[in-house]
Amino acid sequence: MTVLLSALTVHGPAGVMVEPIDAEIAPGATLALIGESGSGKTLTAKSIVGLLPRGFRATGQVSVARQDLPVTRAGDDAAWRRARGSSVSLLLQDPFTSLTPVHRCGDQIAWTVEVAAGRRLPKGARRAAVEERLAEVNLPARVADAFPHELSGGMRQRVAIAAALASDPQLLIADEPTTALDASNQAEILDLLRRIQLERRLSVILISHDLGVVRGRTDQVLVMRDGKVVERGATAAVLAAPEHPYTRALIEADPVVAARTGARIAEESADGSAEAEPLLVCEGVTKAFGARTVLDSVDLSIAPGAIVGIVGESGSGKSTLARCIAGLEREGDGRIVLGGSPLAPGRASRTPDQVQIVFQDPYSSLNPMMSIGAILAEALGVAGRAASEVPAMLEMVGLPAEFARKRPAELSGGERQRVAIARALAPQPRLLICDESVSALDVSVQADILALLARLRDELGIAILFISHDLAVVRMIADTVTVMWDGRVVESGPCHEVLEHPTHEYTRLLVAAAMRENAVPADGKD
Amino acid sequence: MSDIRVIGVAAVRRRRRRLPIGVAVAMGVLALAVLAAAFGKAIFPDAMHQDILASTLPPGSPGHPLGTDELGRDVLQMAIAGTASALVGPVIVAIGSMLLGVVMGTLAGYEKGWLDTLISRWTDLLLAVPVLLAAIVVSGVMGGGYWVTVALLIVLFSPSDIRIVRAGVLEQSARPYIEAAQMLSLSRWRVMFRHILPNVTSLVVTNMMLNVAFALVAFSSLSFLGVGVAPGTADWGRQLTDGRAIMFQNPAAVFVPALLIVVVAVCVNLVGDWIGQRLSQVGEEVR
Repeated sequence: MTVLLSALTVHGPAGVMVEPIDAEIAPGATLALIGESGSGKTLTAKSIVGLLPRGFRATGQVSVARQDLPVTRAGDDAAWRRARGSSVSLLLQDPFTSLTPVHRCGDQIAWTVEVAAGRRLPKGARRAAVEERLAEVNLPARVADAFPHELSGGMRQRVAIAAALASDPQLLIADEPTTALDASNQAEILDLLRRIQLERRLSVILISHDLGVVRGRTDQVLVMRDGKVVERGATAAVLAAPEHPYTRALIEADPVVAARTGARIAEESADGSAEAEPLLVCEGVTKAFGARTVLDSVDLSIAPGAIVGIVGESGSGKSTLARCIAGLEREGDGRIVLGGSPLAPGRASRTPDQVQIVFQDPYSSLNPMMSIGAILAEALGVAGRAASEVPAMLEMVGLPAEFARKRPAELSGGERQRVAIARALAPQPRLLICDESVSALDVSVQADILALLARLRDELGIAILFISHDLAVVRMIADTVTVMWDGRVVESGPCHEVLEHPTHEYTRLLVAAAMRENAVPADGKD
Repeated sequence: MSDIRVIGVAAVRRRRRRLPIGVAVAMGVLALAVLAAAFGKAIFPDAMHQDILASTLPPGSPGHPLGTDELGRDVLQMAIAGTASALVGPVIVAIGSMLLGVVMGTLAGYEKGWLDTLISRWTDLLLAVPVLLAAIVVSGVMGGGYWVTVALLIVLFSPSDIRIVRAGVLEQSARPYIEAAQMLSLSRWRVMFRHILPNVTSLVVTNMMLNVAFALVAFSSLSFLGVGVAPGTADWGRQLTDGRAIMFQNPAAVFVPALLIVVVAVCVNLVGDWIGQRLSQVGEEVR
């Protein structure tokens, strides 16, 4: 039941997009495709399942268990679907959008079961099949009656896995299956996939930009760049002794590797201690949305020129805290003091030279209709600075001056985030908040942006509040780290101390996730 | 993921630049209509001149290629001279209701609260009023006339603009770039009109062009019903009414203005769609 790819090539409107790939995946084995956005890894996956976008086509051969699958969608559509329908399944990145919101989870699994069976099942048999599939992914039978929005991200991705496996495929392609999940869920889902794979002797192609996901869970790895395979081999061997410079750079940029070796991007500043008058103090900050308390009496202190990390999963309140400090949300209770003077809730009485934010998504945080120059000139203008400083601002964040004429759509994600940083710094704020500012970026770009932030801190002496769900990223740059869970601060202290001696149970989980250790047993809790 | 973003950017752009043939034809037709609106009356000052001796000539008569109507007026000359009245009103109505819609819709969508409630209920009220019926009533009470109709239609056409702008503004104001603008403590007017408005322009312009077409039909209907322009004015709707009586003696007297109304309305729609599409591609990702 070996899966064979031979000379699989993807052609786009402008020529060859992915150069010929050959690979062999034994039953129960996992092939990892590693690369950054634009490397061709997703196109490769789509060519195998036949979902290439219009204008693209594939050549070469894909065979599953000695049966050739047609790689081009020609002629009879139904025959084409039958040929691959039950032998290959695709698991997508985002469990929030890959399930249909208007149908119950059980129905979505049942569709695949029925398509694979080639007939409609009687009600009882259908229900039994769905419950059996749910049990395989450690979900209780009641999930069958739930709609996707009633489930957490981790549970949704389990439903998606159950639906993908319901046709009993021989090959499962998982495209960034855990990228959209919280750190604590990631490990569970990956371990679950690994367990099912071994039980079913399923061949898996795992696509990821995250070396940590690949480590210890895959057998073979293909490193891709610009549509070419630059390195291949056994996963452990490639990660231990990369030969290609690109692979080496990827491994060096990886926060998980850094977490294991203790490498940092920013110097740990020693003077961020108690003697200095703190720049920002939060005391008992509390916030509720309706009946739900999202911030429960949070205390936080930031020294001038310090980089303070906040870690926590979605819903932990870390972003709400940042938004209260920025004035975008009004805290219900508590005090926020900047440089000795209290900040009133809300934006109305705030000035731009106090706090600025760099948001997570560089694709939507810049006005698409304004040029980069106009965006920066406006930000300079509110601080009474002249538009002639735009080239200097661009230079400060490492961009050429001619970018001023471009629009956001012409820039890459990393370049946009640099513009967003320049905009935030233009009014010369005293505190810069980075709210998941590198989470949407590729690892090597992420490392560049972290280095930029560290340099700006050193040059400008600005304090930075760095928020992330990934402790591995935070520890590369922050001096101190605060761990939030369920709206409360559960742990706080210098980075190395928290990492080496976590006292709270949740922190231990985060540390394990940061090291990508398989510490979490797949016990079905969510 | 975004792996597909790398496809030949140049090739995609070139494809977008090419003008679809239908849109090109529609633009040509509209250009002709604009010329006729600008110079029609100057070229044919006597278009409305009555000549009982030449009453109801069929198409192809000497000196009257499309024949004449009951009062001996040349159908072709009247149609050309009537373009101004047919185009100017609808364009003013569309622009006026667009301006009203932009201001009220942006305020409602961005400020929310009681202002939004007030404006939204006002649009609900206006939407419940049948356009033609209201125009007939107002003309009846106020004595009618072209400019009264224009003013009335501006108000009656504004709800669609207000709603569309409001929806677009609501959608945009949740985006992070608006929060970034708020972080700069920009004035609300600057956020509304410098940041949000350019991002809803494509919606606004497309809807404005649609309104031109709708208003053209509405004006013609009103003239047809006799409450729009004064009798004796060159106007397609009026011409349609007058020509109806002699439909079988000179079909051109009915079909020429009817056809012009339909063709111009369709062309405005085609061009409007295309402009809206082009505008929405500005600042868009190249995918």
